Amino acid sequence: METPTIAEAARLIAAREISPVELATHCLDRIQEVDPALHSFIVVTPERALDDARASEARVMKGEALGRLDGIPIAHKDIYGTRGIATTAHSKLLQGWVPTEDATTVRKLAEAGTVMLGKLATHEFAFGGPSFDLPWPPVCNPWNTDHFTSGSSSGTGAAVAAGLILGGTGSDTGGSIRGPAAFCGIAGIKPTYGLCSRAGILPLSFSLDHAGPMAWTVEDCALLLQAMAGYDAADPASADRPVADFSAKLGQDAKGLRIGVVRHWHETDQRVSPAVQAGIDGAIAVWRAQGADIREVILPSLYEYQAANYVILVCEAFALHEPWMRTRFNDYGELLRDRMAFGGLMAATDYVQALRRRRELCAITAAAMADLDLIVTAGAPTVAPRIDNLPKWASLEKPSFTNPFNITGMPAMCVCSGFGEGGLPVAVQIAAKPFQEATLFQAAHAFEQATDFRGRRPEVQSLPDLSGRLAGAGLNLPQGDMAAIGEMVQELTTGAATLGGRRSYGQEPASVFHARAGD
Amino acid sequence: MQAKTSLEDFQALVRRAGLTLSPAQIVELHSGWAYIEPMLERIRAHGRGREADLALTFRPDMF
Repeated sequence: METPTIAEAARLIAAREISPVELATHCLDRIQEVDPALHSFIVVTPERALDDARASEARVMKGEALGRLDGIPIAHKDIYGTRGIATTAHSKLLQGWVPTEDATTVRKLAEAGTVMLGKLATHEFAFGGPSFDLPWPPVCNPWNTDHFTSGSSSGTGAAVAAGLILGGTGSDTGGSIRGPAAFCGIAGIKPTYGLCSRAGILPLSFSLDHAGPMAWTVEDCALLLQAMAGYDAADPASADRPVADFSAKLGQDAKGLRIGVVRHWHETDQRVSPAVQAGIDGAIAVWRAQGADIREVILPSLYEYQAANYVILVCEAFALHEPWMRTRFNDYGELLRDRMAFGGLMAATDYVQALRRRRELCAITAAAMADLDLIVTAGAPTVAPRIDNLPKWASLEKPSFTNPFNITGMPAMCVCSGFGEGGLPVAVQIAAKPFQEATLFQAAHAFEQATDFRGRRPEVQSLPDLSGRLAGAGLNLPQGDMAAIGEMVQELTTGAATLGGRRSYGQEPASVFHARAGD
Repeated sequence: MQAKTSLEDFQALVRRAGLTLSPAQIVELHSGWAYIEPMLERIRAHGRGREADLALTFRPDMF
């Protein structure tokens, strides 16, 4: 069985061609088979999943399904609070913490009938990474496990791409939904600031944090966002306004849409690879052919958005973490603690100036958008780099394509726009005016439907199952250690294979015992 | 890339933040500060008027 999209699964469940229990079992089996090579889950909750699935199945059989998400297997980024289930933020500091309440978005997705499979790996407290000094390993990219997923919603990106879940939650403070969506070849949307409640989600930066969904297709993102969005008095930034129908414009082409291309961002400020450029050009060609009005738009340099985003982010994050940063500095992973420490070294005036700059950037961007519906640029500059070869300060050296929309709060999403070096996916990023998610989905879906990039899933090579052999040796190891040993065995096996060759029978090895050695 | 702030001045910033770091950790952090300084210069360098307000009251409906 191939993992279906949410829309396909909803149709199959409604037609009673597949049951929610069968679907959940398929995903649980796939997690067991594939995830030791990916590390996308912090914890899998099979009992909870099967309870949810059986309840869903009962509703379906009685003709009382809650909607298109009823019976759909999902999982949550491990900064989303889950009642009775450990929420770690992928950090030693929260290991063993079990919330007593669900985050608002977790509750809303459960009320829509979704089936929860577990909690997904993240960069520590949604910042930093990839880190190799945390209680859990970093997530590997399912398209090539030697490569990075980006972050911080790395577990969601990998698990969706590999078909372990049909959709999941992410959070985005500087690009943490859109980065993994780009590198893992899926769809991910950072909605308008205030559209989805942040209540019950561990914060990183109050004024930049956004909650949002990630899934294989644009349509699936629209379905998940429909359940997640809405006013919540528990979130001071929550937007008190009616929620739009996010699927309303799916199926319409791009005719009449006014699309601005921020060419200088991806051709000058940070020049993208040829494959990324081809993806952007391809998307523009599709929309132009459908009748969109394509223009070039000039905005402040990416460096301007990056500076404001970074200063605000680390100042707010340091304020949150200050007690632990002072007393338990070495309990954080190196990447997180060193990046976050910068926030403690800045002056109060730096934070204020960054907020003043943010207001200016919002005004400039709003003015440029006045006669546009959408703007377009890259999601990431290249395909995913190798995970073991990232300079520590890489994220500071070049500006991000995603920061501008955290600064402005505009909705933005990444969708797969092709494949580049090594068969790894590339992405185009589309942004709309605040609360115009339906238009964003319209253009993204029109592009997705005009291409065949959704027909290709990564083939993840599963690790050898060593549990029996290790148990036979008297070793009963945790899943993480088992996975690490599995990886090493795979590498050793590959290395050993290179030692083969033709040599004559009886040819001596180099390590021949010599009786004279002891003379 | 070298930070403009001297290591001695940087150590003072670390102390003011209340962080207890080893000498090696301070040197490591100092190497990253070189990337932060240009960002701080950018946000300080705009000749904005005194009345330029903060984005604290962020309003998406301004668009």
